[in-house]
Amino acid sequence: MDVSLLASTFVTVFLAELGDKTQLAIVSISGTSSRPLAVFAGSSLALVLASLLGAAAGGSLSAVIPTNLLQLAASGGFLVLGVRLIRKAARAEAGEGGAADPERG
Amino acid sequence: MTSSEDSSSPQDPSGQMPSSQMGSSQSEPGPPADAGPGGDGTAAFLGVLATTFTTVFLAELGDKTQLAALLLSAQSGQPLLVFLGASLALISSSLVGVLLGRWLARLLPAHELERLAGLLMVGLSLWLGRQAVLHLNAPPPDLPLG
Repeated sequence: MDVSLLASTFVTVFLAELGDKTQLAIVSISGTSSRPLAVFAGSSLALVLASLLGAAAGGSLSAVIPTNLLQLAASGGFLVLGVRLIRKAARAEAGEGGAADPERG
Repeated sequence: MTSSEDSSSPQDPSGQMPSSQMGSSQSEPGPPADAGPGGDGTAAFLGVLATTFTTVFLAELGDKTQLAALLLSAQSGQPLLVFLGASLALISSSLVGVLLGRWLARLLPAHELERLAGLLMVGLSLWLGRQAVLHLNAPPPDLPLG
């Protein structure tokens, strides 16, 4: 077993992933949900599956899967989640009785 | 050798529930979770899991992590090992993300964090959408398939 290869892969991927948009999304979801285990399970599963697909497909992945469309879909998903969170925050603030101006539309 | 016993808290009588209204609310260790009226545990768990999975999976496909995995896998000829290392790294990074989120939830009030997270997600969405549209408009340079 080639430990150095394992370690180099780990370090490369881990560093590439720190501060990535995916991790920002995970931080957001985990911070605003009360179920960290579900967030951890879901994100781990998704990341491992995505990397499995990447490793299995080799270089031909971008020819098989329209990554631009996937990115558009992810963008739509982020938008829905974000707007929902903002509205929830605004509602919670209004419910508390604070005179909160909606600064951002 | 320091052995700290914090598995059994001495101040917590396990037999009775603290249901007195006069007692001042103690500091909760957990985040200010919004306790919904219908607390269906399994369904909520699966809902959060599905949401997280879909979001992360869509966002991650075709990302730079995969590029790194691809490169390493191609150079080494040991795809299984590369996959193992990448998976461990990804699981660790998502654990870091979850813990960071819980830590933030303890620091900030819930609606404040929700607004911040919402703005962050909208920003990510715009950035992702812009990238995707740019790539759609400009065809990749070295693809033989026109």
